[in-house]
Amino acid sequence: MKLDNVIAVRKNKTVYKDGDLCYKVFDSTYSKSDILNEALNQARVEETGVNIPKLHAVTVIDGKWALVYDYIEGKTLAQLMEENPDKLDEYLNILVKTQMSIHKKRCPLLTLIKDKMTRKISLTDFDTATKYELHTRLNSMPTHNKLCHGDFNPSNVIITPDGTPYVIDWAHATQGNASADVARTYLLFCLDGQNKIADKYLDLFCKLSKTDKRYVQRWMPIVAASQSVKGHDNEREFLRNWVNVFDYE
Amino acid sequence: MGLENKRQIVENVETFDSMLARVKEAERIFSTFPQEKVDEIFKAAAIAANQARVPLAKLAVEETGMGIVEDKVIKNNYAAEYIYNAYRYTKTCGVIEEDKAFGLKKIAEPIGVIGAVIPTTNPTSTAIFKTLLALKTRNAIIISPHPRAKKCTIKAAQIVLDAAVKAGAPEGIIDWIDVPSLELTNLLMKKSDIILATGGPGMVKAAYSSGKPALGVGPGNTPAIIDESADIVLAVSSIIHSKTFDNGMICASEQSVIVDKKIYEEVKKEFLYRGCYFLNEEETEKVRKTILINGTLNARIVGQKAHDIAALAGVEVPLGTKVLIGEVTNYDLSEEFAHEKLSPVLAMYKAENIEDAFVKAEHLIADGGYGHTSSIYLNVHTRQAILDEFQERMKTCRILVNTPSSFGGLGDLYNFKLTPSLTLGCGSWGGNSVSENVGVKHLINIKTVAERRENMLWFRTPEKVYIKKGCLPVALNELKEEMDKKRAFIVTDSFLYKNGYTKPIEDKLNELGIVHETFFDVAPDPSLASAQAGAKQMAEFKPDVIIALGGGSAMDAGKIMWVMYEHPEVDFMDMAMRFIDIRKRVYKFPKMGEKAYFIAIPTSAGTGSEVTPFAVITDQNTGIKYPLADYELMPNMAIVDTDFHMTAPKGLTAASGIDAVSHALEAIASTMATDYTDGLAKQALQVIFEYLPRAYDNGLEDVEAREKMANAATMAGMAFANAFLGVCHSMAHKLGAFHHVPHGIANALMLEEVLRFNASEQPVKMGTFPQYDHPHTLARYASVADFLKLGGKTDEEKLENLIKAVNELKARVGIKPTIKDYVPDEKDFLDRLDAMVEQAFDDQCTGANPRYPLMEEIKQMYLNAYYGNKHFQEPEMPGKKK
Repeated sequence: MKLDNVIAVRKNKTVYKDGDLCYKVFDSTYSKSDILNEALNQARVEETGVNIPKLHAVTVIDGKWALVYDYIEGKTLAQLMEENPDKLDEYLNILVKTQMSIHKKRCPLLTLIKDKMTRKISLTDFDTATKYELHTRLNSMPTHNKLCHGDFNPSNVIITPDGTPYVIDWAHATQGNASADVARTYLLFCLDGQNKIADKYLDLFCKLSKTDKRYVQRWMPIVAASQSVKGHDNEREFLRNWVNVFDYE
Repeated sequence: MGLENKRQIVENVETFDSMLARVKEAERIFSTFPQEKVDEIFKAAAIAANQARVPLAKLAVEETGMGIVEDKVIKNNYAAEYIYNAYRYTKTCGVIEEDKAFGLKKIAEPIGVIGAVIPTTNPTSTAIFKTLLALKTRNAIIISPHPRAKKCTIKAAQIVLDAAVKAGAPEGIIDWIDVPSLELTNLLMKKSDIILATGGPGMVKAAYSSGKPALGVGPGNTPAIIDESADIVLAVSSIIHSKTFDNGMICASEQSVIVDKKIYEEVKKEFLYRGCYFLNEEETEKVRKTILINGTLNARIVGQKAHDIAALAGVEVPLGTKVLIGEVTNYDLSEEFAHEKLSPVLAMYKAENIEDAFVKAEHLIADGGYGHTSSIYLNVHTRQAILDEFQERMKTCRILVNTPSSFGGLGDLYNFKLTPSLTLGCGSWGGNSVSENVGVKHLINIKTVAERRENMLWFRTPEKVYIKKGCLPVALNELKEEMDKKRAFIVTDSFLYKNGYTKPIEDKLNELGIVHETFFDVAPDPSLASAQAGAKQMAEFKPDVIIALGGGSAMDAGKIMWVMYEHPEVDFMDMAMRFIDIRKRVYKFPKMGEKAYFIAIPTSAGTGSEVTPFAVITDQNTGIKYPLADYELMPNMAIVDTDFHMTAPKGLTAASGIDAVSHALEAIASTMATDYTDGLAKQALQVIFEYLPRAYDNGLEDVEAREKMANAATMAGMAFANAFLGVCHSMAHKLGAFHHVPHGIANALMLEEVLRFNASEQPVKMGTFPQYDHPHTLARYASVADFLKLGGKTDEEKLENLIKAVNELKARVGIKPTIKDYVPDEKDFLDRLDAMVEQAFDDQCTGANPRYPLMEEIKQMYLNAYYGNKHFQEPEMPGKKK
């Protein structure tokens, strides 16, 4: 095992490649329970049959916790979109269909999205009235049990040379409403400044899954509130704007 | 304000629970208050709320940052004054309605604890509204305010509570959550007895899913159509007035205006003239992107001034601008202007014509305001048809005409019959349980006290019944002298015709100068085909009087021909439909007698058809018998002339006579028996027991016996024409249909079984009829035995003597004892028994039987009557014999 081939660096974690395996090494700021939870999520999702890298081990390397899983050969959809802007529609189509195929799966032991969102709303620093409205809104959403990735975006989808999409990074996986998952993807595009692609993506999802766009939109203040907990200063005003809506009376 | 000190702040589950306990105790006391006391409290509370209208309005605007103080003053004033006025005289306590004759009382009771969710848009007025409704209905109320409006909402509730308590209401009858949270709101919904939810769809949904009855209401997206016939000045000013009211925060307020292109420019000019601002294309786009965020209303524009909303969008408009108008074309959800805006922002559409306007309005309603409110401006005198179509097509629970919709929807302001309310139901379209304006009636439980009453009964006979030997020619004189009839149609059977029975009638008609024609092809068990043939002949002949001469078959056939002649369109399946109560039947029998007068002349003593509203006809193709029953079928005149009876053969005399016995006995046992029918039936029985043997033995000569029998049969007919029959006839009908046993004989064979069956003091099931209060048929039969002087000490003995007398009479006139004597093919009888049982059970006659027969019981009676060696056995019962 040689950890010298860095293939990705994220805040607080680094991914190395060694042969056919990846080593996701967390730095010490990461809580042990979060790491084990990610491993457990990944193992559970793996059992649903979704195309994801197979988890081989949870281990400690030089005092740091690490997950060991298959290396997937290929490029992410984010890379492909950047390299071939003319093929955007084709890639969006793959993105949406991959996401819909995940939503078809059931994974009953994962956290419920409504539980997670309830917790997140309570953690925000919005005023009491806003939290009250967010909680009320969330409470009125139906309770579903679809497998949701929770951080689904083009950089988490790898297309292998034979064209098979693999989905990585299941730290935020939950079960619940597909529309919440889609609202989150939409938000990620918007936060990335890709508003036009976001709209295209949303329209395509609604069309292919026959979902009323309003239903996805009802989740947007909630996913925005949840995102605000992460506390990126540059996103604060943007997210506050999304949250500051009024329920019809 | 001592109360406030005693109150503990409600901020968590523990404090909520102790508050709820206090409220429930208060409600326990309040629920016993009389109307006068409640009305005093209601009045005092309304006055206090009204007096606080200005400070509460100021507090609401200050706290929520939405709306206009002066308009909120109106809302508070309205909530106090109009609600008080609407219900000041309404009875909400105890007996609120009574109908002594029908024995029905309605009693209002409180529901208990109301859980009330109050919105931020109308935080004080809704609180006043709901607390006043609660007080008027003797309910307690717990308010869950919105955190953004909790101070003013609680203040309003406090003011109403203090005044109510001062006027005598129990302390703590109104309470609230001080620190609102979703957890406590949900707890309130779970713990209260009914929920009054006004708020966002999330809140309403939570209310409906709490498991408690909920009065929730939905969002609106009111379109206002301005038709080419509208008074434009009135329409535009009304819309502006409504739309600017409290900066557009009333949910019934107009969201779009749809204008016919013929008057579009004129309407636009008027909007401009009255101070509205038309956004240009660029400005429209800016406002569009401001009013919604991800398809949901931007909280920052709600209840704000037009100028401030424009500024937020980067558009500069004059400070006094009343309404921002965006001229848009797209009316689906991708157009921001097509949504509910809760602010002085209005979409304006140009309609090609009224149909186009309707389509747009329907779409806007379906997308955002299903079930709420729609509005139209037009000339109601010249455009009634357009209004009719509008009211038919709009799926909204309020349809307002030439009315500012925010004020109009609230009720009692622009129409004085529309219930004043601040909670507007949207029906099932809006996912609500109510479709009207919510008021006191939704907050009371009504107990209905229904006392037992007896059915009205009746006694109906033909208008004329002529009797005595030789009365025919005298009676027929009336056809000329009183009725001026011209064409008579005689219905009879071939035997009677060939033997000259119709001759005296024909002679008399000739003498009177009435032309006549005779149909003489009626067979026993008359068929539909023969009735149709007769009716065809009748249709050609066009009689104004029909004379049916014969036994039951000829008279029944005559009645059917009469129906077909007068109403060729009728369907026999419909007319024969089984009913429970002849007055409540589904089928309305056609009116008879408009073409012809109907006279029935019996030639045998038994059937009674000359005085009954019944007729039976058989479909010769299917074998199905249609028993028809309706007083429309009652003959107009019956002529009971013994001359026609003298030559009746022995067999017919016996069978008819026993048929009359069964008529009388069933009429006496019937649940619908009356003193009138009893008298006739008992007298008929006495006569038959005395004279039937004589008429049987010496019919050709014994005029007295014949006449007595003729009268007895008609009297028994009158009895069962009003009391109806029973299960004996049900079983006899099917015995006749399955095995061709003559009708009178069939009844004779079943009589003993039925007498025993009906006489049970512990029947498995008794008949359902209010007059029939307990199983008393044994005593009824005993009274017949007494009347006939048959002797016996106990009712049981008397019944046995009656049965013995009936059996002896049957034997005396040559009727054999068992079905087997008439239906020797035992296998065939047993093979088809179950089908016969089921049909007998479902026979129309079963309904009036004092004992409701089970099919198994009918089967037992048939089998007993078939073999004749045992009698009806009851299942074992715990009760002792009296």
